[in-house]
Amino acid sequence: MRIRNVVQLHTVNKLQAFGWPLIIMSLSLTLVLVIGALIVNVGGAEAREGMNEGMQYSGAIFALLGPLIGFGFTAMGQYFPLALGFGLTRREFATGTLLVFLGNALFYAVIVTIGKVIEVATGGFGLSVRFFDVVYTGLGEWWQTLIQTFLLIFTVMLVGAAITTAFHRWGQSFLWIFWIALAVLILPVVAGFLISEDFRAFAGQVGGMGWVPWMGVILGFAVVGGGTWLALVRRAQAR
Amino acid sequence: MTAISTTGLTKRYPEVAALDGVSVALEENRIHGLLGRNGAGKTTLMQLLTGQVFATAGSMQVLGGSPVENVEVLSQTVFIQESQKYPDTFRAVDVLRIAAGAYPNWDQGYADRLVEQYRLPAKRLIKKLSRGQLSAVGIVIGLASRAPLTFFDEPYLGLDAVARQMFFDDLLADYTAHPRTIVLSTHHIDEVANLLEHVVILDQGKVLLEADTDELHDAAITVSGKATAVDAFLAGREVLERKTLGTLATATFTPRDGDELAAREAGLDLTPVSLQALFVHLTTANTASAAAATDTHRASDRAIV
Amino acid sequence: MLDESKPLFQAVAEQIEDGILDGTYAEDDPVPSTNQLAAFLRINPATAGKGLGLLVDAEVLIKRRGIGMFVAPGAREALRQRRKFAFQDQYIAPLLREAAQLGITPEELAGMITKEVAR
Repeated sequence: MRIRNVVQLHTVNKLQAFGWPLIIMSLSLTLVLVIGALIVNVGGAEAREGMNEGMQYSGAIFALLGPLIGFGFTAMGQYFPLALGFGLTRREFATGTLLVFLGNALFYAVIVTIGKVIEVATGGFGLSVRFFDVVYTGLGEWWQTLIQTFLLIFTVMLVGAAITTAFHRWGQSFLWIFWIALAVLILPVVAGFLISEDFRAFAGQVGGMGWVPWMGVILGFAVVGGGTWLALVRRAQAR
Repeated sequence: MTAISTTGLTKRYPEVAALDGVSVALEENRIHGLLGRNGAGKTTLMQLLTGQVFATAGSMQVLGGSPVENVEVLSQTVFIQESQKYPDTFRAVDVLRIAAGAYPNWDQGYADRLVEQYRLPAKRLIKKLSRGQLSAVGIVIGLASRAPLTFFDEPYLGLDAVARQMFFDDLLADYTAHPRTIVLSTHHIDEVANLLEHVVILDQGKVLLEADTDELHDAAITVSGKATAVDAFLAGREVLERKTLGTLATATFTPRDGDELAAREAGLDLTPVSLQALFVHLTTANTASAAAATDTHRASDRAIV
Repeated sequence: MLDESKPLFQAVAEQIEDGILDGTYAEDDPVPSTNQLAAFLRINPATAGKGLGLLVDAEVLIKRRGIGMFVAPGAREALRQRRKFAFQDQYIAPLLREAAQLGITPEELAGMITKEVAR
């Protein structure tokens, strides 16, 4: 039953857990609407079309997703020591935190989905803007957006928690290895893009492999991140 | 019954052995003092006993079991850690709300009274509280949780004299009404000395002394008078500390039967040594002997070269 | 308040004894409980209890189960006798030693005492 205490630990401050992310999202959405109104009024139909096209890649939604990325880091960095301080076991903390991650991801995925449905139905809030209906949250059906957003948020939280736990365990040397490993993975891709026409074609194919395989990739990250986190947290110590 | 017992408990970090072969036994329903200088290993010992860190070697029994990942033990334990980190966004009221859910014996009415009494700004962010107010948060949780095993790590840091007296009175009153095992760690000893029934003195990760406070009264006394008389009186005996001023000397030592009479006949004064003074003598002597040992090592190293 | 040259529990016992001698606690009257003493003196209850225990062992106090501790009949007189016995050792001997050191003769000392009493 003490899992309830862990959940409470994460959510006791309602403003912090739910208030601010939603307030920041609303501000960001307002800003997008204002910009949309300006462009529509000044630019006319052609500008309107171009804006709608370009805004598929708009990162304004990260005003909501961004703070949620930090959630995984703070869960291990700030809430884990306090949970131990309250005499909660690592197992209880991990279980409760996993539930919070799931609940959070679901809550915000539903919000984004509702936003997208409204946005699509009203023709971009009557201004042809895109805020919820972007590539990161899925351009397909509403249920695809629900699944994609949920998976994205959940994965990012797990990976954040895993990285923080590993950092606590091995300190700075882990960060060095992490960044080096990341560079080893990314540099060849960047180099491939720059020098090889074949690689660009191949990357294009991978990029266009469809929604389901992409979801599989995200799920893969979730499994690796979650597995690492759960394995490490069992031996994590207070600092 | 024993609330806590450890055998050869050791915690090594890459840079340092924070705890080195600690064996202690703490009876239940008493107030124990865990004394030691900064870095002596007090916090590490309590972190081990509450399952926050893992032991490198040795064993421990807390409330009849291992504390590691043990819900049964940990739900009866509260550890008020001096350096407890709280999330940036937390207010005292948030922490108290969680504590209320986490501790089965929590007394909300008592917690409210304590918050009032220590004038704790419960709605202010914890990271904006003063050191003393932060201590007050710990005191409220530590007392109102009424856990059968309560650890207080330097509980009165930053509290003013009034609040400290308040804490001692509250601790005594609540302990009397709800007897439980209390472990109080501190390096400010004088003020709590009379509250303790049993003490463990740690130094450099090792147990320097473990005894009931009643027995400690006989652990050391100070003799003062003419230097020649003092030296004659203590000839061949181990002395914890010796100081001279001109022809006068004072020396602290472990007394034995008949010393009182002998001192009087020699025209020397005997004065008791407070727990604080004994603690200073013991830890200073220990540091000195450690330094001496290192010097010998160095000397032999040179000899080999 | 408490004599610091003695173990704490002895000092507690002596304080109660002082109270009996000066009439604060009359015979058959209750003395403070362990917890009251502990709170008042800011000391561990076990220490306070040990102090009271000394007095029970010495038959200065009587324990009545479930009610508390009471001054034993005849305790005041017994204490007075015991303290008198210790008086010589505790007060007279040091007095004479200090007097000798200052070159005060026993006659001079007796005169000083008479004068002090008259004041």
